[in-house]
Amino acid sequence: MLIDELSNSGAIPTLETMVRFSGARQRIIAHNIANLDTPDFRPMDVSPTEFQKALGKAVDARRQSTGEAGTLPFHGTDQVKVAADGTMMFTPSTSSGNILFHDRNNRDLEGLMAQQAENVGVFRTSIELLRSRYGIVQAAISERV
Amino acid sequence: MYGALDISTSGMIAQRTRLEAITANIANKDAIVDVNGQNNPYQRKTVFFSPGNPAATTAAGRQLGVHVATIQSEATFDPRYEPGNPLADANGYVKYPAVNTVFEQLNAYEAQRAYEANIAAAEATKTMAAQALRLLG
Repeated sequence: MLIDELSNSGAIPTLETMVRFSGARQRIIAHNIANLDTPDFRPMDVSPTEFQKALGKAVDARRQSTGEAGTLPFHGTDQVKVAADGTMMFTPSTSSGNILFHDRNNRDLEGLMAQQAENVGVFRTSIELLRSRYGIVQAAISERV
Repeated sequence: MYGALDISTSGMIAQRTRLEAITANIANKDAIVDVNGQNNPYQRKTVFFSPGNPAATTAAGRQLGVHVATIQSEATFDPRYEPGNPLADANGYVKYPAVNTVFEQLNAYEAQRAYEANIAAAEATKTMAAQALRLLG
């Protein structure tokens, strides 16, 4: 019970969700990069903006119902489904923009690299913040022992 | 996230296979004789990719990544008029492989850049894994 309250308090569940999301999105980005030269391939992605909006709403909903602690009522978006164990199932959409090459692939290497840099940045930031939150919990525990 | 590393690896394998085919095309650009001494030139190889990785062990892994769908040999040749050549046909033509080294070089550059892009993706995944491990303390 105590552990539940510790791990569900403050920003921890939000940060964990962000880490899971960017970890799973990395697979989609790696898939797009691996298929740079595949004929008829269209790069796919899930919308990070939609995801962040839904996560923001969940944080607001929790703040209004149980305050800063308690389980985060986050159920994902149209493209991102969250399973009971927290794993994320993606239904990515393909983009129709950009130039279509002769092999009918609308690759955008620069865009992919930018997406990847952004995704790694989000992951890194979430991990660092999570680390600082865990550090606070650890400090509190060591004061008691 | 470790799946992302497998996906990038499948991309690297596919691009390496393509680069091998390109190297074989350049190496054989003047190979006009078969093992029986006949004018049967080398057939240019083209590698085609397809999304997904059938070699993966998980269902999600099979959907993501890339694999070599087929390696096609093109039976088109470049006939050159060489009447003095002992391999020439009745009209004085000798068949050469239809390999254009400029195209092959360009394809090789593209395969190399795509390989590097996969390495960049794998490096990013490794950075993320290392970051996640920092949570342990």
